[in-house]
Parts: sequence; C-alpha cells; structure tokens
Amino acid sequence: MFATSSQRKYWTFSGETELAQLRKEANERYIKTHGTKINEDSWPDYFFTVPEERVLCRHFEFLLKEFCSRFQPPMPKYVLGTSLCYFKRFYVHTSVMDYHPKEIMLTCVYMACKVEEFNVSIGQFVGNLKGDREKFANIVLGFELLLMDKLHYHLTVHNPFRPLEGLFIDIKTRCKKAEDIEKLRKDAEAFIEKSLASDACLVFAPSQIALAAILSVTSREGINLDSYVTDVLLEGASEENLKNTIYQIKRIKYMVKAQEPIARDQIQRLQRKLQACRNQDNNPESDVYQKKMEEMFDDEEENRSRKRARYEEEEEAETRELLGV
Amino acid sequence: MEEQGCPRCKTTKYRNPSMKLLVNVCGHSLCESCVDLLFIKGSGGCPECGTALRRNNFRLQLFEDANVEKEVDIRKRVLRDFNKKEEDFQSLNEYNDYLEMIETVVFNLTNGVEEEQTKKMIDQYKKENREIIQKNKSKMSKDEAYLDSLIEQEKHDAEFRKKILLEKELEEKNKKKLNKEALIDELMFSDMPASMIMATHKAATTETKENEPVQKSATHFSQGMKVGFQNMMPVPLEEGEAYQHVSITIEMCGPSLPLEDTLQSAGYLKNVRSTSDSERGGGFESRMACHRALQDALSGLFYFPGTSCS
Repeated sequence: MFATSSQRKYWTFSGETELAQLRKEANERYIKTHGTKINEDSWPDYFFTVPEERVLCRHFEFLLKEFCSRFQPPMPKYVLGTSLCYFKRFYVHTSVMDYHPKEIMLTCVYMACKVEEFNVSIGQFVGNLKGDREKFANIVLGFELLLMDKLHYHLTVHNPFRPLEGLFIDIKTRCKKAEDIEKLRKDAEAFIEKSLASDACLVFAPSQIALAAILSVTSREGINLDSYVTDVLLEGASEENLKNTIYQIKRIKYMVKAQEPIARDQIQRLQRKLQACRNQDNNPESDVYQKKMEEMFDDEEENRSRKRARYEEEEEAETRELLGV
Repeated sequence: MEEQGCPRCKTTKYRNPSMKLLVNVCGHSLCESCVDLLFIKGSGGCPECGTALRRNNFRLQLFEDANVEKEVDIRKRVLRDFNKKEEDFQSLNEYNDYLEMIETVVFNLTNGVEEEQTKKMIDQYKKENREIIQKNKSKMSKDEAYLDSLIEQEKHDAEFRKKILLEKELEEKNKKKLNKEALIDELMFSDMPASMIMATHKAATTETKENEPVQKSATHFSQGMKVGFQNMMPVPLEEGEAYQHVSITIEMCGPSLPLEDTLQSAGYLKNVRSTSDSERGGGFESRMACHRALQDALSGLFYFPGTSCS
C-alpha cells in the first residue's frame, strides 16, 4: 500500500523544482570530480548541461517503452511502469554521464521483470535485442547489483494500474450515472501510459494519477463525475484535503498534457558527446572497466586464499595446543 | 545377527531354548551340557584355546559379545585388588591417574597387550599395597553404606504401612459387626416400620464412611524426591507484562475504506470477476482482489508532499 511504502517515504518528491534541484546537484557533482583536468571555460562544451541530460534521458525512456511494447512474450503494463520508475529514480541522484542510459535502461527492465514476477530468463530477455546478445547479458547482469544499490533496495513500485482498477470498481458500484464507464478503460490506460513518460510517478501518489486519468477521460466524454468525487469518493474529507486533492489532480493533468516533444534533432549530437565525456570507469567496453573487474575478481580470489591460510594456521595452533606441545 | 550357539556341540538357542551358555576366564563360551561332559574331573583345557580351566570358574554368559564378557570378568578381578578409594589419595589428580592405570591394566589383559609385564605389575602392586587392600576389603564404601541405609529405611516403611493397613481392616470388620448387631436389635425392638429403619441405618453407615480421614498420598519417593514434577526441573518463571493484542491501525492517507467483509453487501463484488473453482480451492476469493484494488485506489489520495499527510 502506498501510504506506508518506501515509495512514499523516499521516492516521492514535492515537485518539479525539487527534482530539478537534485538533478542539478548530480550533474555538478560529476563535473566537479571529473573536470579537474579540463579547463573550466570549456566545461559546457565538454560536459552535459542539465537540460541536455534531460533530453537524452527522455529519449531513452521512449526507447524503453518501445522495447517493452515489442517484448516477446508480451509484457504486462505494470512491468513497463516499474521499469520506467526505476529508470527515473536512478537518474535523480546520478548523472547521465556517470552511467550510460542504454545500459541502465536494459537493466531496469530486466529487474522490473523479476520484481513484478514476469518470469523471463536472461537468455529469453536478451533474445529481444539485436546484436551481440552475450555482451548484453553480461552488461545487464553486471549492472543489476549496482542498480539495486542506487535504488537503495526500494524495489516495490506502486503503479497507478491497480488503483485505476479499484476506481473502476468503485464507480460501477457507487456512481449510478456512470455505470458504462468500462468503455473508457482504454483511454484511461492510455492517459496513465502517457503519465509514465512524465515525472508524475516521482511526484504524485499512484491513486491520484489514476483518479486524474479517470477524470480526464470522463470530462472529454462529457460525463461529469464531480459530484461523485466530492460526495461519494471523498466523503467525509476535510475541506482542506478536498481542496488539495483537486489541486493535485489538476497538477497531474497539466504535467501529463504539457509534455514537450523530445528534441530528436539533438540526439545524434548528444550521443557523440556522451561518448567523450562519460565515465570510463563505468563503461563495460573500456579497458579501465575491464581491468577493474579483473582486479575485483583477483582480489576476491586473493581474499579467499588469505582467509583459507588463516584458517589453516588457526587450526594448526589449536591442534598444537590440544597435544600440549 | 548371528545365532548364539555352543561352538562344540553346535546347539543353538533356537533349537534348545533352555540352553545356557557359560564362559570361563579365557572368554570362550561353552554350553552347560558340554561343560558337564568335558569337566567331569573338575578341570581341563578350553577346547578352543587350550587354556587350563576349572569347572567352578564357569559363569553364565551375560553378554553376547565374548570380548565384553571377558572384559567384565577381568575388570571384576582387577578391582578386587585395586580397591583404593578416593579418600586414599591426596588430590583428585592422583586419584584420576590411579583410575587411568586400572583402565590400562584392564585393557592390556583383555586384549593381550604386554600381558606378562602387566601381570608382574599387578603382583608388585599387590605386594606393595597389601595392607591397604586388606583394609579396604573389609571396609564398606560410603556409597554402599548409603545404599544400604536407604534399603533399610524402605523396608522399615513398608512394614509400617502393612501394620497400619492390617489395623484398619480389623477396625472395619469390628465396626461392621457392631452395625449389624445394632440393626438387628432395632428391628427386633423398635415400633417403626422396617423399611424406615433400614433407610436410616443406611444413611448412618454412609455418614461414618465419609467421616473417615482421607489417607494422605505419598509425597516422597524413597530416594527423597518428591512425587510429581514440582522438583524435577525448575521451570524458569517468565516475568514481564502479559501480551495484549492491539489491532493495527492502517495509515490510509486517504478516504476511509469499506471493510473486506462488507464488500458483498455493498455490491462491490458484482463488478469483479468471480473466482473459478480452482481458485477457490486454493483459498482465493474475489473479495480479496477487490479489497486490494479499492485499498490501492483510496490510499494516498490525500498525499500532498510538502504539506504533511496525516
């Protein structure tokens, strides 16, 4: 339930301004740590600005959605919702330059499949990709733990799809004049899908998004549900709560509808820019990354052998003591 | 498991259930009839190993394993000589060393390790400690004395109980006799109808029976332990406040939710897919899904970050 979830506690922000602030901080943090060798004047040319990061992120969110809709076997909608949510959460505190969105995007989808119990093996998963599948599998599995860490292991995502279902049931039961609301289901779901492309899941409660979806499609159809909302659904609510809820619904409607189209003409340039300024430590194709992985592996091996040696020594000491030598 | 049998005449316990296997110091067994036959003169050699044996050294075999039998026998003999008590030593360590020495001796003799040497050692020990051995032989150990006293006490108690029981029986008999006589007297001389006299008499006898003191049940075993479980194990008393159930309050952050049980009467279930038989078999009911959907729909409606929710 959302009210007691980690989603509400840690991953719902007050609004676009707070999100913009956090993203700016992530961007600055990256530039500060990686920009020491570069002249400060050329920073804007070399590194991404915050709006540029947003453009690229939204482009990859779009790709994610395409990937999910073409996925075989067909994927339930809430898997898409969860993976988009992971993707957005990831880039709230992390810069695009730090981890390439293409890799994170795939990992997000793979993890959402697991969390939402949409059972696909990694082989089946990369089967939906073109190119070197083994390499993709390695990338996804390699970033899986990192992604969970960055999400602080808050893996349960409350999507607006179930609340929408609940509202449908409630309206059918308690609102006599809108009994044939079922025919609006497709439109309402389309609204929610559209909301997934915005930052709504980082700002609003899923039930609010679902309610906004229903109110948006009914008003378009000319059905007035105002009396249902104020007298039935929110019956007994305080004046302030009522006002706030209606305000939130308005904000959602605005946020979903006022999405700017993605600036596709910039994508090519941004991708090239990203190749130059991305963090090579986190690039699975770079030498640095491979060296790091090897070192980690060796370290593990070394640690293990060191541990083993210590155990043996201890055991020997024990036997010596036992024999009284 | 191998059937136990006499190695000489091949009789087995199965064929002759009354067969008794005997053993002598060498540890080889023979049946009773073979012993009678072979040792008619009183002594002779063991048919298996040729050790010289005496007839009156034969004992009933207690253990199936001849080795165990032999060890028990040897231990008995060794302990006859090595009969020092803990009180004879200055420290516990010395006593433990002594016990260990006994074990070594027993082991050596049983398994035939350094037999000669061990025997010599025993002889030497006997010589050196003759006085103590003699003294300890006559002296009863503390444990034995204690056991004896316990047995004595038990015997005493049993006798006492018997006596009381006898007395009681006698008393009862007398009482019955008296009652009977009184009844007959009354029937003879009273003016009341016989049935009434019988009734009052019956009432009187039952009353006396009830007045008899109830015998106290034994509260102690002979070992001094209390009957029952009070003292067997000290059950740790758990202290602290008793658990009190407080039903959880669900933070909804939204309008109040209809109870799961009332969904049916409120008509919600009409708008939900009804469960199939196989789903119901697994304990799933449509109201669960319905309730969850409604809960999700209402929870968080009043969530306005920035302003407090609850």
